Amino acid sequence: MDRKEQELGADLWFPLPVLLYLLTLQMLTRSPAAPISPAEPIRQAYSLALYMQKNTSTLLQTYLEYQGSPFSDPGFSAPELQLSSLPPAAVSFKTWHALEDGERLGRAQEAFLALTQHLQLVGDDQIDLNPDSPILLAQLGGARLRSQGLLGNMAAIMTALGLPIPPEEDTLGLVPFEASAFERKCRGYIVTREYGHWTDRAVRDLALLKAKYPI
Amino acid sequence: MDMYFTSRRPLWMVDSKIMKARSDFQWLFSSVLLLYLMNQVNSQKKGVPHDLTCTTSNLNLWDCSWKAPSGHGARYEVCIDNRFICYQLAKTNMKIPALARGDHEITINAQHDFRSSTSKFTLNEENVSLIPDTPEILNLSAEFSTSTLHIKWNDKGSIFPHHSNAIWQIKILRKKRMEIVTIVTHNTTLNGKDTVHEWSWTSDIPLECVTHFVSIRCYIEDLHFSGHKEWSRWSPVKNISWSSGSQPKVFPQDKVILVGSNITFCCVIQEQVLSALIGNEQCPLIHLDGENVAIKIYNISISQSSGTNVVFTTDNNMVGTVVFAGYPPDSPQELSCETHDLKEIICTWNPGRVTGLLGPRNTSYTLHESFSGKKTAFKRTDEPTNESYQLLFQLIPNQEIYNFTLNAQNPLGQSEATILVNITQRVYPHTPTSFKVKDTNSTAVTLSWDLLGSFAKINLLCQIEINKSNSEQELRNITVEGLENSTYLVTLDKLNPYTNYTFRIRCASETFWKWSNWTIEKQHLTIEAIPSKGPDTWREWSSDGKNLIIYWKPLPINEANGRILSYNVSCSLDEKTQSLSEIPDRQHKAEIQLDKNDYIISVVAKNSAGSSPPSKIPSMEIPNDDLKIEKAVGVGRGISLTWNYDPNMTCDYVIKWCNSSGPRPCLMDWKKVPSNRTEAVIESDEFQPGVRYHFFLYGCRNRGYQLLRSVIGYIEELAPIVAPNFTVEDTSADSIIVKWEDIPVEELRGFLRGYLFYFGKGERGTSKMRGLESGPSDVKVKNITDLSQKTLRIADLQGKTSYHLVLRAYTSGGIGPEKSMYVVTKENSVGLIIAILIPVAVAVIVGVVTSILCYRKREWIKETFYPDIPNPENCKALQFQKSVCEGSSALKTLEMNPCTPNNVEVLETRSTVPKIEDTEIISPVAQHPEDGSEAEPENHVVVSYCPPIIEEEIANPAVDEAGGTSQVIYIDVQSMYQPQAKPEEEQESDSGGGSGYKPQMHLPITSPVEDLTADDDLDKTTGYRPQANVNTWNLVSPDSPRSTDSNSEIVSFGSPCSINSRQFLIPPKDEDSPKSSGGGWSFTNFFQNKPND
Repeated sequence: MDRKEQELGADLWFPLPVLLYLLTLQMLTRSPAAPISPAEPIRQAYSLALYMQKNTSTLLQTYLEYQGSPFSDPGFSAPELQLSSLPPAAVSFKTWHALEDGERLGRAQEAFLALTQHLQLVGDDQIDLNPDSPILLAQLGGARLRSQGLLGNMAAIMTALGLPIPPEEDTLGLVPFEASAFERKCRGYIVTREYGHWTDRAVRDLALLKAKYPI
Repeated sequence: MDMYFTSRRPLWMVDSKIMKARSDFQWLFSSVLLLYLMNQVNSQKKGVPHDLTCTTSNLNLWDCSWKAPSGHGARYEVCIDNRFICYQLAKTNMKIPALARGDHEITINAQHDFRSSTSKFTLNEENVSLIPDTPEILNLSAEFSTSTLHIKWNDKGSIFPHHSNAIWQIKILRKKRMEIVTIVTHNTTLNGKDTVHEWSWTSDIPLECVTHFVSIRCYIEDLHFSGHKEWSRWSPVKNISWSSGSQPKVFPQDKVILVGSNITFCCVIQEQVLSALIGNEQCPLIHLDGENVAIKIYNISISQSSGTNVVFTTDNNMVGTVVFAGYPPDSPQELSCETHDLKEIICTWNPGRVTGLLGPRNTSYTLHESFSGKKTAFKRTDEPTNESYQLLFQLIPNQEIYNFTLNAQNPLGQSEATILVNITQRVYPHTPTSFKVKDTNSTAVTLSWDLLGSFAKINLLCQIEINKSNSEQELRNITVEGLENSTYLVTLDKLNPYTNYTFRIRCASETFWKWSNWTIEKQHLTIEAIPSKGPDTWREWSSDGKNLIIYWKPLPINEANGRILSYNVSCSLDEKTQSLSEIPDRQHKAEIQLDKNDYIISVVAKNSAGSSPPSKIPSMEIPNDDLKIEKAVGVGRGISLTWNYDPNMTCDYVIKWCNSSGPRPCLMDWKKVPSNRTEAVIESDEFQPGVRYHFFLYGCRNRGYQLLRSVIGYIEELAPIVAPNFTVEDTSADSIIVKWEDIPVEELRGFLRGYLFYFGKGERGTSKMRGLESGPSDVKVKNITDLSQKTLRIADLQGKTSYHLVLRAYTSGGIGPEKSMYVVTKENSVGLIIAILIPVAVAVIVGVVTSILCYRKREWIKETFYPDIPNPENCKALQFQKSVCEGSSALKTLEMNPCTPNNVEVLETRSTVPKIEDTEIISPVAQHPEDGSEAEPENHVVVSYCPPIIEEEIANPAVDEAGGTSQVIYIDVQSMYQPQAKPEEEQESDSGGGSGYKPQMHLPITSPVEDLTADDDLDKTTGYRPQANVNTWNLVSPDSPRSTDSNSEIVSFGSPCSINSRQFLIPPKDEDSPKSSGGGWSFTNFFQNKPND
């Protein structure tokens, strides 16, 4: 927990939701003995997820716009492209609904952890491919930071619910660095697409939790 | 085989020796051989060896073979050159050392089954073929990234006895079907040693996508060999293929190519490719081995930042690659190097054409200095902009000349630009800092500033901008010795004391390259100095003559040299000086009680730095009796005064002036003029047009001022603003005496030039005088230029007439407003009497004479103006009128319905009274007095009137007659209006004959008995019957009689019924009517007029 706090504190230019989260996190860590209600962190995580949801399509759109045709063609979609290092967000409703809170949060956390690292990778790729596009780079950076923020929020919820926080995994270690430019573009597309899907899923996850733990 | 080779050489050597020994027997041998050959030819037909052919692959050994009948155990003895060398062989080929040039006899003796047959051949080198050994590809390798094949092979040159050229053909094949892509020729030289050759070939299709095969053959071109040369056989093919994984891939990957070039992309894939796109353009597929496909792109265009995508799509996948099409770097343009501080050189350039390549493919720049051998690389910032291409290069101690080469490189190529600079001549200093100003004295300051940089070896040129308030900007250049990061000091002199200055500074090297930026501005007020002059002084005696008032003007700022604190006024008489108290600033006059002695007054101005030199003025005024007041008018904004040179005037002239209407002592301002001048232009902002000023010119002689001239003047003359006040002194029947007053000087606004006096007939309230100036009317003007004249007598006027008098004053500035007055002249009684009497007398005389003349000549008048008119009764032409009037109602006169007054008149007079006028008018009536009673003609006459509504009468002629009697009933005072009945009534009256005048409304009171006469009446009444008094008509219109004669309706027509009727109805001369009816119609008129005469 302390390590995570330091890690997050390093990024001083967090957007507002992330700052809010940090404040909450600070309060939570300072009084570990006090009984913690999960409602507040759920609410914060939920509002952050909603905020993220508003930007996901813009991010994907901006990303595709900078990759050239056919990526930038209107209506571009390549669902067949997948990344093995990213867990897919698609899940059957039945399975999803039957998930335990801990498992649900755990999967989301796992996904956002992978997304955070992948967004960093995509950002690096785009520095090579589109060095003159500060807008795209800023949006990718923003998405990464928000994912980190959401990760923190989820950790807080899990703490509040008394669930074990899954260990951080280095998913990026599996990513092929020697990818061609085309593979990088595709990879970026998958990451930004999955970021949107996972954000949508996170909103639903948190909405469910929010209903379960009202303030 | 090897064995044969070993025995061959000794034999060859023996053979040559024997040949020499037996040369003597050659002739004999030849003849025997010829016989032998003849036998051989015969024996060939029986299956002897034949078709000897020889080839060589290395020029040393010949490989000969022949054909022979097959059979086991056959042995051959081959002898060369008449058994010089012989070989025993069991096969039909052999290798022999290369023979010398020329023909050689080969004898082959075949022994088979105890039979022998011999064949002879002649062998020459020319018949031998050179076929090199089949070459072998030692190594075939591929560089997939560049799609290049590398082929290595050995030329085996060691087996050839001498140098010769080798030609190699390399065949490239592609696909499993081995389609030939190309055959390339490659030349080498064989140099007697085995050499491995290497050759590369770049494929247009990436090597990964399709298997490539290579084969090679050669051809030796040996100049020493005269035989036939042939290509070797093709070497065995070698192939290159790419072992792909199961993942589909597209090649080439991430390739950077030049814009406009052609490129082929291919896809290694296991499933069927449906389409291929470059960007968003579809491309036709080229099918390769398996499912692999390729596309070819021609003339590729420049890529966007992230490259151009090439995508192959299958049913459920998409694979692709990115190609970066761009340009090699342009030569760096406008490369320029300079230094700010002689520590670091900054080189800047413009990259030129955009390469279209970014990120790791972007152009890298390296700056290399050739003398020192040092270099530095350009580091791209996070946000590169085209303008910020610059590199820093550390200055090398003791090196002034630098030869820079800027190298630009990207994956497509490189370019460079060079510049040779003497860095001491490329100094663009930083902006000086810590700029300060310090006082040195009242006219000098010290400027100091810091300048970073190692300028110890050069001089600096600095420019100081000096701004003085309300003054022009001044620039001063100074040169200072350069220092090492130090403060520079400069003294700036020739400044004015107590003046606010603004300074700023910039610097450059003495060998000028560029100015630095200006420092920020520094304001500085220089310190005070003593006033440079005493104040400008004047004195006036007070009006009572007891006190002397001393005036002085404040010193201008450039003479005050500081803030004036006070003034000291002192007066001295014969070395005795009496000082008055200090007078603070702001007060610029002092009053001293003095006697009439000749004092010298001196005034001194003081500021914090000290006192000014005194300005002195004598108190005495030298009288001048010969003085007259002159006039002057200004030119422009001032007044010019001139005077004659007077050598007596030793000091200066003073012109003082004041508003002439101001209080005394009169002083507005003064001006001093040097004694050598004879003119002065007085200008002042206080001068106003139209105000009279008084100017006094004083000359200074010895110890006193003397008034030389006194001038009144205007800066600009204006028109008077008031009119002169004037009154009428006296009035007679034909003259007026006017008197006026002067206009006050303030309202005159100029020198009076005269008056304008206007007079003319006119009464109050009329606007006649408006056109005083313009109208040429009867307004008279008198210009009075004699200014002393104050009265004016206006003569030759009409009596009892209103006159309008106007007086205006004028100056050179214009004419003033007018003052006007109305005066009525007195009546002239004599004239009036005469005016009445004369017309009366004339009128009487004319009347009398006329009467006499008329009386005497009355017969002639009558004949002339009223001749007898023939009786129309006698005129045959008029008789048709009767029938016309009977048949047609058109002959009836106009009926006017609303003639109500008629009714009244008719009732009163019945048949007698109203007819008189009618009879007079209608000429036929006048002839009928004899025909019947007096009443009858009246009846006839009336009938002639025809109402205007004719149509109704025409419609019912019978009814008219029938209703004739009944109409009588309508004659009633009360029946005022019967529009429908009226025409019938008239018809009635026509038929029954009228008795005298019958109003048109209700004529027929006459009995039906009178119908008999009606016909006659009709005859008569067909003529016109006017209803009006014809007499009056005649007076007005002499044409009327003729009109009536013509019987036309037009005559009755015009006269409205009511008027005519009134004339008829109130006839004043009823008694005359019978007489008149007897006379003609025109005559009657005349007759009626006559009594008036």
